[in-house]
Amino acid sequence: MRAKDRVKSKDKHILNLADIVGGARSILYLKVDLVAYDCDGFTIHKHLPKAVVFPKNTQEVAEIVKYCSANNLPFLARGAGTGLSGGAIPLNGEIIISMVRMKKLISVDLENRRAVVEPGFVNLKLTNSISDKGYYYAPDPSSQYCCTIGGNVAENAGGAHCLKYGVTTNHILGLEVVMPNGEIVEIGKDGIPDAPGYDLLGLFTGSEGTLGIVTKITVRILKNPEGKQTVLAYFDRVEDGSQAVSDIISAGIVPAALEMMDKTAIEGVEAAAFPVGHPKDIEAVLLIEVDGIAAGIEEQIDQILEVCRKRDVREVRAAGSEEERARWWANRKTGFGAMGAISPDYLVQDGVIPRSKLPEVLSRINQISSESGLRIANIFHAGDGNLHPLVLFDARIPGESEKALEAGSQCLKVCADVGGTITGEHGVGIEKREEMRFVFTEEEIAAQTDIREVFNPHNLLNAGKLFPSPSRCVEIKKEMKAQAIS
Amino acid sequence: MSVQELDLKQEPPCTSGLGNYLWSDPPDEKKWADCVHCGMCLESCPTYEQTGQEQHSPRGRVHLIKSVAEGTLQVNEQFIDPVFQCLDCRACTTACPADVDVGGLIEEARGQIRQAMPLTGVKGAISKFFLHDLFPHQNRLNTLGGLLKFYQKSGIQKAVRKTKLINVMPQHLVDMESIMPEVKEPVKKKYKDVKVIKAKGETKQEVAMLTGCVMDVMFSDINESTINVLTRNGNDVVIPQSQTCCGALHVHAGDRDMGRKLAKQNMEAFKDFDKVIVNAAGCGCMMKEYAELFKEDPEMHAKAEEFSEKVEDISKFLHDTGYEKPNAEMNTRITYHDACHLAHGQGIRQQPRDILLDIPGVDMVHMPNSDRCCGSAGIYNITNPEMANAVLESKMENVPDDVEMISMGNPGCMLQMAMGVQKYGRNQKIVHTVQLLDWAYQKEDRMKEGEE
Ligand SMILES: Cc1cc2nc3c(=O)[nH]c(=O)nc-3n(C[C@H](O)[C@H](O)[C@H](O)COP(=O)(O)OP(=O)(O)OC[C@H]3O[C@@H](n4cnc5c(N)ncnc54)[C@H](O)[C@@H]3O)c2cc1C
Ligand code: SF4
Ligand code: SF4
Repeated sequence: MRAKDRVKSKDKHILNLADIVGGARSILYLKVDLVAYDCDGFTIHKHLPKAVVFPKNTQEVAEIVKYCSANNLPFLARGAGTGLSGGAIPLNGEIIISMVRMKKLISVDLENRRAVVEPGFVNLKLTNSISDKGYYYAPDPSSQYCCTIGGNVAENAGGAHCLKYGVTTNHILGLEVVMPNGEIVEIGKDGIPDAPGYDLLGLFTGSEGTLGIVTKITVRILKNPEGKQTVLAYFDRVEDGSQAVSDIISAGIVPAALEMMDKTAIEGVEAAAFPVGHPKDIEAVLLIEVDGIAAGIEEQIDQILEVCRKRDVREVRAAGSEEERARWWANRKTGFGAMGAISPDYLVQDGVIPRSKLPEVLSRINQISSESGLRIANIFHAGDGNLHPLVLFDARIPGESEKALEAGSQCLKVCADVGGTITGEHGVGIEKREEMRFVFTEEEIAAQTDIREVFNPHNLLNAGKLFPSPSRCVEIKKEMKAQAIS
Repeated sequence: MSVQELDLKQEPPCTSGLGNYLWSDPPDEKKWADCVHCGMCLESCPTYEQTGQEQHSPRGRVHLIKSVAEGTLQVNEQFIDPVFQCLDCRACTTACPADVDVGGLIEEARGQIRQAMPLTGVKGAISKFFLHDLFPHQNRLNTLGGLLKFYQKSGIQKAVRKTKLINVMPQHLVDMESIMPEVKEPVKKKYKDVKVIKAKGETKQEVAMLTGCVMDVMFSDINESTINVLTRNGNDVVIPQSQTCCGALHVHAGDRDMGRKLAKQNMEAFKDFDKVIVNAAGCGCMMKEYAELFKEDPEMHAKAEEFSEKVEDISKFLHDTGYEKPNAEMNTRITYHDACHLAHGQGIRQQPRDILLDIPGVDMVHMPNSDRCCGSAGIYNITNPEMANAVLESKMENVPDDVEMISMGNPGCMLQMAMGVQKYGRNQKIVHTVQLLDWAYQKEDRMKEGEE
């Protein structure tokens, strides 16, 4: 055996896991390598995993899982680690099962409009592999250049174009899952939608990696729309912008995407790698995209221009070329990362609000910003009311991370207070565990952890995520129940 | 790398470091402050593509480098692998929405590693031979004539001639073959006593030219082509004799002291000129970044910044100052490979393509992922052959089947791609962008002579 293939560890678990995945090239256990896995896109909590393993196929995943559960080792799955709520952070020193080497496009079935992928297959690669045949995969999180479809399933990812076509769960036809005991099950076999019985596909999609490890995914693919066009509109007042959004939707138009950025967000994207020249002094920019049959598009665009003009728009126009359209979207889609250009760190929040409440919510967020002394930028999937306040901070300043967390939590409270909720697409993870209490009672949370227990009874898989640690009263009730049974 | 090869007992100097960086010139905090750990760079990285491991990704590398400064990691043997497996291809810098200078951080981190753990043993000897005893000394390089053969062997030129393949090649390719200049003596030597190589016709301006160390020995024909193309388009060309190797290889290897020495020598050699023309992307990129080497020396830093302004790649220079479009038809199908240090390093993508498309009869076929690294990366293919080969293999998969030439703007890439062509049984000719332009000019001249 060559030196590179030798595992230089005395830990028997490391040696045994290495045997399962085929040697040193498929396992990491040195501190320096593990540090690269101590967090994901959510950087406030960090913890080292015990090891990272890189299985090649479902069988290896099942064996790893069996080994971990037999030896009481906590474990979790990780895709590209772009999650924004800490779902892939090994809080308990987990064995991380990295899915990125399972990255094959297994099959494409154009006739039945579906494709089968391994979980490590990168979102955008699916569209890129079928676009020449006139098809695409609709869910388009802004992280689609890098995030995995497995991670998308776990987080039920959404994207700018999910307003019209729905989020990940609307595009999943079947899953192969390794259950926390190592058993391999298929859900939604043969990709037939709406199978009788409980909607297990729905349950697994968005379960944030707490119920099982997805090893194969059958997704729906769509035919490319005949045409698409994007309108850009600048507003001097947020109120006018959000009113325009409501008007567009009440006019019966269903845009493919409807996005808004506020002044601070604009400052960020303009300072970063893909500036397009948005004016710095406007309060809101709207990007409105319509797609569909070519003939209908022009009419819809005219209607949208008209609606915006009625709402005191400063400037509104349709993209002059495909290149311009692409530039507008690149600017928007790199919006989160762009915050790096104006702040050392940022925390993305992910609330959902009734659209009509946007002006009120933004002014309350402004207040949170001035009280905390931290700047907050807002990027808004305006069509479906999914608001991303980005709290800008500097982790090197003692106490500022905590302040950012607190400000983020307050933003979510505002969202819950106006009748919305605390996550639209990024998941709860570690970050919003406590905020679950803004929207669920103790009993409702307990009902959900009961479901988790059915699948993940020893809670070895991705423990400590999604739900707040139970408060005393529920714990006592559980204990009483346990006593009654025994 | 085994422990024996490393000398861990180097005592740090008594300068103020940063966290666990104990040596001077540590990685620059400002560079990682912009990284928000979003992961948008992952898929751009060839070493992440190959391994799927995040310590071999840009985000991971930035995170590790930062962790040393924060005291969670140390500059030790384990730290070497993630930092030295990086190809320094800069694809991540293009992909990053926050413009994080990952390449710059990597080079600074390498500087720390090499100060803390100088290479000893076999690796040390090889590295010393290349970096100290060879590249900075033009005369030694020149006498290394054997290397010349290497180029001809790895290109198709020799194979084609030996196997008599030339007889079955399409006529226009045979033509091309016949006009391909023979490898000549290094231009720096050749023009030793010529103060100014005069422009043909009216002089528009005077430029200085970097001949490069390896370039001038293995690729002096490209240097000749560069001179021809420059003089043909109204430029007087000066080749300052006191110029030396640009230092890129040294800086990539973590030898920043040597890098500074060479940088100073070049800044001095070119100080009287307004433009320094470079035909090797790697050298151009390095010279544009000399200021990075002098962060702790404000005076030199300012000088280096001024100097960087003067450095320009030949394709951008021609594009910006104008060039005569050749009249002769070249009739060939080609594809273009974006050298990392042109595309990612200097943002030069369209200019060379425009030049090639201005040559009549050039049919350009798109290469998918054309700005993906070929694995050459300075002497990376010598130091990390396994990764370099894996990266080369995926590069070659993207080279279209039906092209006759692959054009590019960097000698390192040319060697690596020539190797790829040979290894994977392909038959493309590897050319530099200015060569193709020069051949078109020459063909035009010959046609005119024939008419007369
Ligand atoms: C710049 C940026 C922009 C973003 N934009 C959007 C957006 O527009 N919309 C959106 O919805 N999200 C967005 N995100 C969040 C993130 O990209 C998504 O949540 C994505 O789905 C995560 O995929 P991943 O492969 O990175 O998963 P990871 O981060 O690796 O993991 C996320 C969770 O999924 C679990 N998991 C991963 N793979 C599997 C598997 N095979 N089986 C079971 N569980 C698994 C992990 O345990 C973890 O809990 C953005 C993130 C960034 C950094
Ligand atoms: S280097 Fe840039 S793209 Fe990569 S994680 Fe950091 S900010 Fe994101
Ligand atoms: S320079 Fe190239 S190899 Fe190095 S981290 Fe960036 S993309 Fe990866």
